[in-house]
Amino acid sequence: MKARKFLGVIAATAAASLVLSACTAETPSTSPSPSDSGTNAAEEPSEEPVADDEIYYSVGADQWSGYNSNHSATYNAWTSVVNDRVHSGFTYYEPDGTIVQNEEFGSFEMISDDPLTVKYNVVDEAVWSDGEPIDYVDALLDWASQNSTFLSLDEEGNAIQDENGADVPAFNSVSYTLGEYVPEPPAGEFGGKEFTYTYSEAFPDWQLMVSGFYPSHVVAKAIGLTKEELGQAILDGDAQVISDAGKFWNEGWANPAIGTFPDAELIPVSGPYTYGSWEAGNSLTLVRNEAWWGEPAKTARLTFRFVAPDQHVQALRNGDLHVIEPQATVDTMAQLEGAGDGITVENSDSLTWEHIDFNQNEGASPFAGNLALREAFAYCVPRQQIVDTLIAPLTDKAQVMNAREVFPFQNEKYNEVVEAAYDGRYDAVDLDLARAKFEEAGVTGPVDVKITHAVNNQRRSDTVDLIKASCDQVGFNVISSASEDFADRYFTGAGENWDVALFAWSGSGQIASGPNIYHSQGGQNGAGFSNADVDAAFDQLATSLDPAVQLEAVKKAEAGLWAELHGLPLYAHPGVVAYDSTIQNVRPTATQTKVVWNAHQWERVS
Amino acid sequence: MLKYVAKRLGSSVLVLVGASILLYFLVTVSGDPLEDLQESTDHNRETLIAQRTRWMNLDLPWYQRYFRWLQGVGGCFRGACDFGFDRAGQRVTDAVGQAAVVSLRLVILATLLSIVIGVIIGIVTAIRQYSAFDYVTTFLAFVFFSLPSFWLAVLLKEYGAIRYNDWIASGRISTTAIILISIGLGLALQFIMGGSVKRRLFTGGVATVVAIGALFYFDNNNWFREPHLGLPLVFVATAGAAVLAIALFSTLKSKRVLYSAIGTIVGGAVVALVFNNALAGGGIRFIGGGGTSVEFGGWAIIFALGLALLIVGIAAAFIFGGDNRGQAVGINLVTMLVLYILLIANQAVGNWANYLGLQSRPISTIGAQTPNFSGNFWETFLDSGTQLILPTVALTLISIAGYTRYTRASMLEVLNQDYVRTARAKGLSERVVITKHAFRNALIPLTTIVALDFAALVGGAVITEQIFGWKGMGELFRTGLENVDPNPVMAFFLVTGTAAVLMNLLADLVYGALDPRIRR
Repeated sequence: MKARKFLGVIAATAAASLVLSACTAETPSTSPSPSDSGTNAAEEPSEEPVADDEIYYSVGADQWSGYNSNHSATYNAWTSVVNDRVHSGFTYYEPDGTIVQNEEFGSFEMISDDPLTVKYNVVDEAVWSDGEPIDYVDALLDWASQNSTFLSLDEEGNAIQDENGADVPAFNSVSYTLGEYVPEPPAGEFGGKEFTYTYSEAFPDWQLMVSGFYPSHVVAKAIGLTKEELGQAILDGDAQVISDAGKFWNEGWANPAIGTFPDAELIPVSGPYTYGSWEAGNSLTLVRNEAWWGEPAKTARLTFRFVAPDQHVQALRNGDLHVIEPQATVDTMAQLEGAGDGITVENSDSLTWEHIDFNQNEGASPFAGNLALREAFAYCVPRQQIVDTLIAPLTDKAQVMNAREVFPFQNEKYNEVVEAAYDGRYDAVDLDLARAKFEEAGVTGPVDVKITHAVNNQRRSDTVDLIKASCDQVGFNVISSASEDFADRYFTGAGENWDVALFAWSGSGQIASGPNIYHSQGGQNGAGFSNADVDAAFDQLATSLDPAVQLEAVKKAEAGLWAELHGLPLYAHPGVVAYDSTIQNVRPTATQTKVVWNAHQWERVS
Repeated sequence: MLKYVAKRLGSSVLVLVGASILLYFLVTVSGDPLEDLQESTDHNRETLIAQRTRWMNLDLPWYQRYFRWLQGVGGCFRGACDFGFDRAGQRVTDAVGQAAVVSLRLVILATLLSIVIGVIIGIVTAIRQYSAFDYVTTFLAFVFFSLPSFWLAVLLKEYGAIRYNDWIASGRISTTAIILISIGLGLALQFIMGGSVKRRLFTGGVATVVAIGALFYFDNNNWFREPHLGLPLVFVATAGAAVLAIALFSTLKSKRVLYSAIGTIVGGAVVALVFNNALAGGGIRFIGGGGTSVEFGGWAIIFALGLALLIVGIAAAFIFGGDNRGQAVGINLVTMLVLYILLIANQAVGNWANYLGLQSRPISTIGAQTPNFSGNFWETFLDSGTQLILPTVALTLISIAGYTRYTRASMLEVLNQDYVRTARAKGLSERVVITKHAFRNALIPLTTIVALDFAALVGGAVITEQIFGWKGMGELFRTGLENVDPNPVMAFFLVTGTAAVLMNLLADLVYGALDPRIRR
């Protein structure tokens, strides 16, 4: 028996090695695949003109949600990033957040500042990818879709109401700001490429109000009208037609299923790329828009893969992604540094900035109505140390931020504003001065300071630790209070249960976002800050159209915010972009459009 | 019996409802679903908050939202399931359907592999209790079991994908590497085979020498970039598998079983030759009357091949099996399964060189397929296959340990039973004692964990899915939780929870059927 077992062992060994080795006896003729590498090698270069290339990029793991990124259900950052590549409009953001006219699409100018009147002009060549010109009616539809006075009607023409008894707007749009400021439809001629918007009041961010459009001819056809009839109905305020148009606008562009685009004829585009293919859960590919009139996209296919950001670095190293924009953490930076020569790493900026706010809601915290105590705290917050320990390892551009409305990477503007508004007194920690101010504040004993911040954010916990180490020496007792309902506390809690809030605002480059936060009537003024000078400065900012006046107003507002210590800005969040070094023209941006903003210029050279 | 089932189901439903209330509550208090919007300075912030509030019904207290959700889910009993909307207003019901398919694709292979490998290792370690092999495999199983899966996955990506792809660009191995790999293989093999020192030396030596020879040959012929197997080799290997199967489950002395195995191999070979062109070309076209033609593509052919092999196996057993028909069927099916896998592998391997031409870095770190991949059937097959390798390895390594330990424990228990001693005492060979008397009974307790594991299949693998970028159930759960969005989390819970309850019940019933002592 032992012998048989032994034989079995040999048999098994032999069988195993046979499986691997018996190809010795093979001749290529029995193998269906020609294993002739020569042909492959010869074919590759000829198959690869630069034009037919493909670049992989990822915004994150989230699925693309739909064609209409102005619709509330399909509006989100990652979908807009894709849709912005297939649509063009009057403006785009430069990497530092400034707004520029997109001359390929058209031009606009302010022809009067009282009332604010802006004239737009679409270039003659501009057409939808199905050949239909982009013109006045598209602008009309765009305006109507951002106007909440048009309501959804049922079949009998009665306004539909939601569960709370409120009327439902015809267009379920993410923004009705345009309709609020421009109550009358833009003026123009059917078939024309020029149109004029008249604002009811001065609005400094008017440049952001009109950008790209959605195809009005598709909407008109879907509801059985011609383009002109739809335009006329909007001009006439025909409630039923507008409600029908809204219904299609809301529902007609929805994806039939995840992974399936709506019918191609429903989704014409106006940019350098158009929708190619979409593999559910895997990737979405944009291909060149053949009807695009501007400079053609340099790379034939741009593929967005749905991958969680923490996997991007390895994917880049393996060529599964070619351009990545991961979260800048110490780990990511270390991984990227070890990634080798084939990969270029660049630090980028962002319009998101970290800061602390004092709770100044009356009676809600020791800081309310006590400037000296705020100053005492400001003198002990180690801003430079926070930046050195937490941000410097991530970027070579780390610096303490000394303004709220402008960012350090907006060099000239930033320097000018900071110079005018802030004398540098809180740059370095001064514990003696802090103690003196603490005395002056007339408080006794250790003052409990509850710093509230969002949960699961290590950097914020570390920041609080650094503040505690410094400020506890002055007489404060800093308490870290990470909380799930942080935002609720800050915005709606009337200042209950926190003394200092630590968080970041994420901006999108508009001029007048500050009033909402710092004005005593501001909707986001959770800190309860109120100062007449600051209010006046922001009122001026919010109603001025002159960049010079706006800049002066910002300086005044910043000065007031420093003097009265609304809070302390800490730093702008760092970003990082890494890409395959063979790809040219990758330009990181601070804005929410992500590095892919100029993807049509990306080109692989090798 | 019916009463028992009804009782079990009833109590399970109660547990599910209770757990769902708890889970819903926990998700709602796990964070602030509006946080990202609150911190935005956009003009349309208010509108966005209002809209998300509407999608998620945030104006209602959590228990009212829960009841709405429960009502929607209650619709399942009327055939109209409604899992509600996620925070962005997308239907969760659609998302669940897609996610479940993806998860199944990812996890099913890993589960089957870990069951098969785990059970084999468990049996061998039980037979060789307290041997060095036992200790080493136990140690390794536990190492893998306790590895955090995200870390294992990152390692796999580094070595299995990035480094492998760098290497396959040339596909050459250095002489030192060849010798080291071969010695490693030899050591491993003698370890598994065991026996006296002399025998171990022999096994290890032969294996090392054969491996060195083979690797040199492969290296010189660029086999790693242009491999091929070929049908003759496939048939030889199948014959080897048949011999092994007969030796294990029957005896080579049984003429009928032997004849039936020969019959099935010959029949299988004929089938393979018939199908070879269709398999290679990826399709068959039947021309019917009136010029109509029907084409069958790759998967249809593969399915048809499987069916044909199945029929051949059973037919051969019935024709030649005689009194040993039962055994013959089992052995023939194992043989045909091996042939089936080898035939598919043969085609895949044969297309590897072409695939490398299309995809110079074959193993990807993310995703279920290469975007916009276009190739013939086998190249596409390879493309999906290569993407499956790393996650499958990760999942298998991690879950093997459980099966190994369960099987080992259960096998040891059975081996100590009186009836095993009786079987040995009456002179049965060790092979018969183990395969017939011990092994089968040892498998009974495994039913429970296998059933539960299959229930977990539907749930996917939360971390592995995330790391390899598969949009499955685990991903649904994770993003839902991250966004403080209860509906996707609840959908995940409901599907996995229900599967667990049903499989558990099934396990109990099967248990009763397998082991008559359980039935009262």
